[in-house]
Amino acid sequence: MSRFLNFDTLSLHAGQTVDPVFGARATPIYQTTSYVFPDTDTASSIFNLERGGHAYSRITNPTVGVLEQRIAALEGGSAAVCTASGMAATFCAITAILGQGDHIVASTQMYGGNISLMKNTLPRFGITATFVDPTDTGGFRDAIQDNTRLIYGELIGNPGLDILDLEAIAKIGGDHHVPFMVDATFNTPYLCRCFDYGANVTVHSVTKWMGGHGAAIGGAVVDGGNFDWGATDKYPTITEPYAPFSGINLWEEFGPSAFATRIRAEAMRDIGPSMSPMNAFLLLQGIETLSLRMDKHLSNTAELLDYLTGHEQVSWVSHPSLPSHSSHKLAQKYLPKGAGSIVSFGVKGGREAGKTFIENVELASHLANVGDAKTLIIHPATTTHSRIDADALVAAGITEDMIRLSVGLEDVADIKADFETGFRAAKRVAKG
Amino acid sequence: MYFAVNGKQVFATTGGKPFDNSKPTVIFLHGSGLDHTFWGLHARFFAFRNYSVLVPDLPGHTNSEGPPLTTIEAIADWLNDVVKTLDINNISLVAHSQGCLDALEFASRFPERLKSVSFIASGLATPVNEALISAAENDPEAAIAMMLGWGFGPAGQLHQGPIPGNSMVAGGRKVMRGNVPAELAADLRACDAYKNGKQAAAAIQAPAQVILAGKDRMAPRKAGLELVAHLPDPEVTIIEESGHMVPQEAPDRCRQLLRDFIFKNNPTR
Ligand SMILES: Cc1ncc(COP(=O)(O)O)c(C=O)c1O
Repeated sequence: MSRFLNFDTLSLHAGQTVDPVFGARATPIYQTTSYVFPDTDTASSIFNLERGGHAYSRITNPTVGVLEQRIAALEGGSAAVCTASGMAATFCAITAILGQGDHIVASTQMYGGNISLMKNTLPRFGITATFVDPTDTGGFRDAIQDNTRLIYGELIGNPGLDILDLEAIAKIGGDHHVPFMVDATFNTPYLCRCFDYGANVTVHSVTKWMGGHGAAIGGAVVDGGNFDWGATDKYPTITEPYAPFSGINLWEEFGPSAFATRIRAEAMRDIGPSMSPMNAFLLLQGIETLSLRMDKHLSNTAELLDYLTGHEQVSWVSHPSLPSHSSHKLAQKYLPKGAGSIVSFGVKGGREAGKTFIENVELASHLANVGDAKTLIIHPATTTHSRIDADALVAAGITEDMIRLSVGLEDVADIKADFETGFRAAKRVAKG
Repeated sequence: MYFAVNGKQVFATTGGKPFDNSKPTVIFLHGSGLDHTFWGLHARFFAFRNYSVLVPDLPGHTNSEGPPLTTIEAIADWLNDVVKTLDINNISLVAHSQGCLDALEFASRFPERLKSVSFIASGLATPVNEALISAAENDPEAAIAMMLGWGFGPAGQLHQGPIPGNSMVAGGRKVMRGNVPAELAADLRACDAYKNGKQAAAAIQAPAQVILAGKDRMAPRKAGLELVAHLPDPEVTIIEESGHMVPQEAPDRCRQLLRDFIFKNNPTR
């Protein structure tokens, strides 16, 4: 191994050294809370961040560590911290650097949980947000205030599927010494490595395509290692001494992984949203086949886009790989392999027809998730985005007739046949 | 901390404790294109064992003011200026890769305050092929890929790191991106030009330690053993499973070896 390993190889091997005791080839599940220290000096040096090693599974765990290093490797980041869920990852990533009086510029088109976090929850802790249209790149610049400490968005917006202009927004962040954090759940590092375009941190709901089997909830924060925290005094949690670890200066001592180390040292210790070793194992199993699955997600998506755009019961179809989509050009630039496997479309006949379609398909599962190996459908206006108000709904591009489809790995002929059943039922309703 | 040497700002970490020149001091020297973060955990370990620690960025590198120095001899002179500026006594020098050439020169020419010197992953010379030097100047990403590709052994290529969740190879890449093209090219040229290794090694009086790596492709075993052969009476260890980046790839073993050697030769009160 005298050169960097490629993506598919890293998906299988990164982060793991074969178990030296029994030679287990799969990553062992270290289902333990804590670790016996060989001596007091080792114990104290682990506690004082003088050496790596495990003390307590809320902070680090060997199985979770393999997943973290694998995700860091695939993403090209200097370090990753895995969390109990994607939302926990987002919360930890934001609060690692923001506090009372700080401000976020965020995209309007995001997962409902992200919007609610920034609109309802974080303001209770003194962190406010301004939401801007992700297609109006200049809007990110215009919304920056003196107290702005973060730019946040999803590369592929949810559910309108607008694509962020990563390079342009990263430049705006760089000009203002503000890091650019991207929720990369919908793209995964297989479709786009956001750090290559200047993003500074990515967060993932590993629950989704990365894990890929709908079996375990999990999140990850990846430190791009490419933000110069020391260039300003805006980020004291990274650049000022941190009392709990004898006044450690994370920026001085950890440089490119200072941000991730802050999450490890603070959030995992004082808040504790840790991932379980069992979930880490399940998610690792998924990542082993990430590229294979993504290719199939994409080819099924392409076929279904053909099918839906030609279907008489469909009033509109939205996906960035369609020339009609407003983000088509950006998708070609940032997501050349394909712009993910979420499709939204409208069923002719409005709200009732949409509802009937969902109730009559059998193979596609009606549920609130995306990125499963199985095909999923949902009506966002009444579910995932129901907790946000009407204005935000419009801003997020959600219409009453919208169905969001997460294309699975089934034989695409079976998905089409299933949809035919749904469309036939919807047609009867539409006719009245 | 920042301090001025010959009118230029120098940055050094002190391992998380204030610098105190009345204590025995461990000075860590990084290799080509790298910086202080290479030594993070090791520096902290000694700082919390009653040593003073100094981990400078070489001139031009990361936080230290440039321009980069262009010869190994000049770096040794600069290090002596650092030592005099801070009035450091009872020094244990710990060096990796190019840092070892700097240490050879320093230890042979400025023995007065030196209590011990630890050479990690180096020989008496570091010939650098012209393709790498020209890549450093004209295609820094390619040069970084060559150096980290060759530099890290299996643990590095598998994105292991001294701390769970960290990828040392990715971290190294981010650091090096801040030190190209000028610093890396200057470092590599300085390495390539250095020819005084044999004489310098033979002149070293302080107790010396050599830690080599079995899977080192930058400073292969044969080259490392030449260094061993020319030092008066070094303590030698070969860590078989490690690649060139020993302090990161085999951090626990490396720390133990440094600890035992420095505690013995430069004890704290
Ligand atoms: C884009 C995006 N980010 C974050 C999340 C939250 O992730 P989790 O459900 O793992 O907490 C989701 C979940 O749907 C999501 O779609």
